[in-house]
Amino acid sequence: MSVRPQVEPPSPDLKAAETRSRLEAILNLSRDGILVIAKDGTIAGWNRGAEGIYGYPAGAIIGRQLDILVPYDRLHELTEIDRSIQRGGTIQDFETVRLRSDGAPIDVSLSIAPIRDERGHVTGALVIARDITVVQRAIREAAQSSEKLSDRERMLRRALLALRQSHEDAKTTQLQLVQSAKLESIGRLAAGVAHEVKNPLAVILFAIDYLADAIPSPDENAITALKDAREAVTRADSVIRGLLDFSTATELSPTTQDVNEVLRRALQLVRHALTKAHVLAVEDLGDGLPEAMLDRNKIEQVFVNLMINAIDAMPSGGTLILRSRRDRMTEVGREVGVRKTDQFQVGQSIIVVEVEDTGTGIDENVRARLFDPFFTTKPPGKGTGLGLAVCKSIVALHGGTIRIENKAGGEGTRATVVFRSIRSREGRTDG
Amino acid sequence: MDKIRVLLIDDEPSLTRMLKLSLEHRGYEVRVENNGAYGLTVARDFLPNLIFLDVIMPDVDGGDVAANIRSDPSLKDVPIVFLTAGVSKETTRVKGNVIGGQTYLAKPISVDEVVRCIEKTLAQGKKKTGTPS
Repeated sequence: MSVRPQVEPPSPDLKAAETRSRLEAILNLSRDGILVIAKDGTIAGWNRGAEGIYGYPAGAIIGRQLDILVPYDRLHELTEIDRSIQRGGTIQDFETVRLRSDGAPIDVSLSIAPIRDERGHVTGALVIARDITVVQRAIREAAQSSEKLSDRERMLRRALLALRQSHEDAKTTQLQLVQSAKLESIGRLAAGVAHEVKNPLAVILFAIDYLADAIPSPDENAITALKDAREAVTRADSVIRGLLDFSTATELSPTTQDVNEVLRRALQLVRHALTKAHVLAVEDLGDGLPEAMLDRNKIEQVFVNLMINAIDAMPSGGTLILRSRRDRMTEVGREVGVRKTDQFQVGQSIIVVEVEDTGTGIDENVRARLFDPFFTTKPPGKGTGLGLAVCKSIVALHGGTIRIENKAGGEGTRATVVFRSIRSREGRTDG
Repeated sequence: MDKIRVLLIDDEPSLTRMLKLSLEHRGYEVRVENNGAYGLTVARDFLPNLIFLDVIMPDVDGGDVAANIRSDPSLKDVPIVFLTAGVSKETTRVKGNVIGGQTYLAKPISVDEVVRCIEKTLAQGKKKTGTPS
């Protein structure tokens, strides 16, 4: 018998002996460790379960101080437990670490209750210790597994995000390919149509010119008829040429260019239109702009187009304002990101060109369709509806953006074109 | 004073007919050839001061016809102006009607512009060679 629990005083009564025997059987059959601790902290009782958990036989431990079972860094627990027990409190399922006889730490769950004498004074404590090492190990393993699972989940989420992004990129590329294929088809069609239509147009125009020369003294009606016919040919030719420009917008010959120089050349080309419409041109061009890789002719075409649109928007005269400046993409936005596939990268050096008019501005419904091919608000014969569609294609081919918006306050319209710059004036590579 | 001789090589008979009438009305001597393959033969016979040559013709390429004409000693200095239905307005405007050193006129074009082109091209030729045409 290894347990000497002082739960009942010895009694000569047979019934009491039987009770004691039952109690001892329960104590020794229990797999939980059951310890009796005296008021001075010595171990006074120790069952077989305690032997199994802590590794000490009863003979080796009874009479020793309880702290032999407690790791150094947990000795403070004894004081707290003792204080609680002395006040008559009980402790349930206190999970902690204790030491085996070989020094190995074990996870235990302790339930502790005070032992009282017949007058109710606390004389010691009964400790039930349950080995939860396996449970704790399982919990730790579960936690580790959970952490691994979380890691994997994070990885999967990242992979999913990357996959979604790739999907988006693929969709964008597909759309670009479709767009490019469409343009190519239109290009082939336009080239064919141009050849087939331009020859008859040339015949008609030569015939009109011949008739104008050959008719000795044409009456007023004949003169009007010839004039109208000539204008009709010019209109038809304008549509065909616009279509050809639209179709050839897919081919670029970019070289290093000074954007301000291209702007000034474009301005020269619209001088006549400016004078005719009583429009004043104001240049506000930034100094020392970095250069850009541009197809000069095509970008000049874009600028001319934007300037002509601005002039047309001011039939009663006004001011055409040309601005250019260097800038840098500072934050992620609709066309700005951090990936190489983004149109612009954060931190990228850019050149911004603005063409402003002081006209009446544009209706929002019109603005939404401005870049649609064959959409025009100009009177018949004045616009083919391909100008801005061509501009957008050309700018997009340069990796740039173009947008048109009403100026704040509704006093006119501003077209903004953004290009990537390649090199600063000091020769530093920016993009 | 001899008339300026202009040779039109284009597969579109109505076009050459109309242009011939207009140019003759303005005092030029005009010969027409609607088959590009015979362009060189006609040019040798006619010895024009200037040739208008269509770029795209059935069976023969305007560029090849031009190369044949230029390789002929009697015709090597005769200016050739290409007539094309495939060049866009922007291209001709920006390049000043000269692409790759070669003068182009984009159809449709007015007779006035054709006449201006003849005068300008022949004036440049005179300046270059220093000889009267």
